[in-house]
Amino acid sequence: MIRSVLSRVAFGILAAAALAPYVAAAQHPDFSGLWFPAGRTQDPQRAPYTPAAQAAADEYAKAFTLDDDPGRYCIWPGMPRAVWGAPFTVEIQQRPQDFTIFWEGYGMYRKIYMADHNPPQPILPSAMGHSVAHWDGDALVVETSNLKPYPYMTRLATSSDAHVVERLHLEEREVNGRKGKYLVNEVVLTDPKVYTTPIKITATLQQRTDLQLLEYTCTDTLWDDYLSERGLTLPDIDSFPAPGAAR
Amino acid sequence: MTFRLLLATALVLTLPAAAHHSFAIYDMDENIVFDGVVETLKMRNPHMALTLTVTQDDGTTGTINFAEGAPANMIVRMGLNPADIAPGMHIKAIGAPRRDDPHTYFLKAIILPDGRKYSVIN
Repeated sequence: MIRSVLSRVAFGILAAAALAPYVAAAQHPDFSGLWFPAGRTQDPQRAPYTPAAQAAADEYAKAFTLDDDPGRYCIWPGMPRAVWGAPFTVEIQQRPQDFTIFWEGYGMYRKIYMADHNPPQPILPSAMGHSVAHWDGDALVVETSNLKPYPYMTRLATSSDAHVVERLHLEEREVNGRKGKYLVNEVVLTDPKVYTTPIKITATLQQRTDLQLLEYTCTDTLWDDYLSERGLTLPDIDSFPAPGAAR
Repeated sequence: MTFRLLLATALVLTLPAAAHHSFAIYDMDENIVFDGVVETLKMRNPHMALTLTVTQDDGTTGTINFAEGAPANMIVRMGLNPADIAPGMHIKAIGAPRRDDPHTYFLKAIILPDGRKYSVIN
């Protein structure tokens, strides 16, 4: 009898411990799932360049054509540009300790660590930077720094000093008579070397459970171009006879 | 040009807002329809590509090079089944020629034999 009671108590404690992270997570909004870009606004619309950045932008405009674009060479747009993104699916995975965001476009991914779960220290500057977040009510506040320079003056350039603060929240909206869930991200980009004032961007994702995250390998064309320059031809591997096929 | 059939119907096309490079090298005002057989197909990102074998009135054939079009992911999401445009399939393709190379085209739309049309610029 006593053994039975003890085992039930032990089971209850174990079950509670196992469920604790999920109970805690359930207290916060759930951003997980599949999303698709649904527009953005920017204020100010025209980049408030510092004198040095304006000079660089003027030189850039003279030297670089629209085709001299890093995207063509599969350079990740990174933060904060990934937030409004290309017209491809975005998947968000949410856990109590972190968020993982996958962007189909450019095959980008990003980690956001929760401040109250012992986040790791940044190691190398990167396109997505180092993001640490906390909940403020139903809003997730994310601070990102440790970004590597993105000196492409026609693409909202950022320096190593860039700092991005995001405030994300869910909204239910009715658009064209259809109700849907939207994830609204209010972004503030501060980069004193490049911009004289912060730039505010509001980017929205629409939940799209009908989509799936497809593969997006950006470098195939570049590889083809290289092979062509080298005069190399890859074997037509799909033309190989299947085992047992008539010869 | 014998291969060309000017498209009579108006198309409502806008370039993707997130296009990662300019399409100014193409004369996007042109909508030239080619009727032919898919020779090669690259369903890839950021731009799909295909070549089309087109038969002229005198029976000789030529190859039309659609060097780039929409991202493969975007066009399959529109509903195009890649099997419908596999090499050997008969399709129509609407192109905009490169300004410096009139034999190379941007692939603006694909029309299947049953009339289904997929505009690769949205």
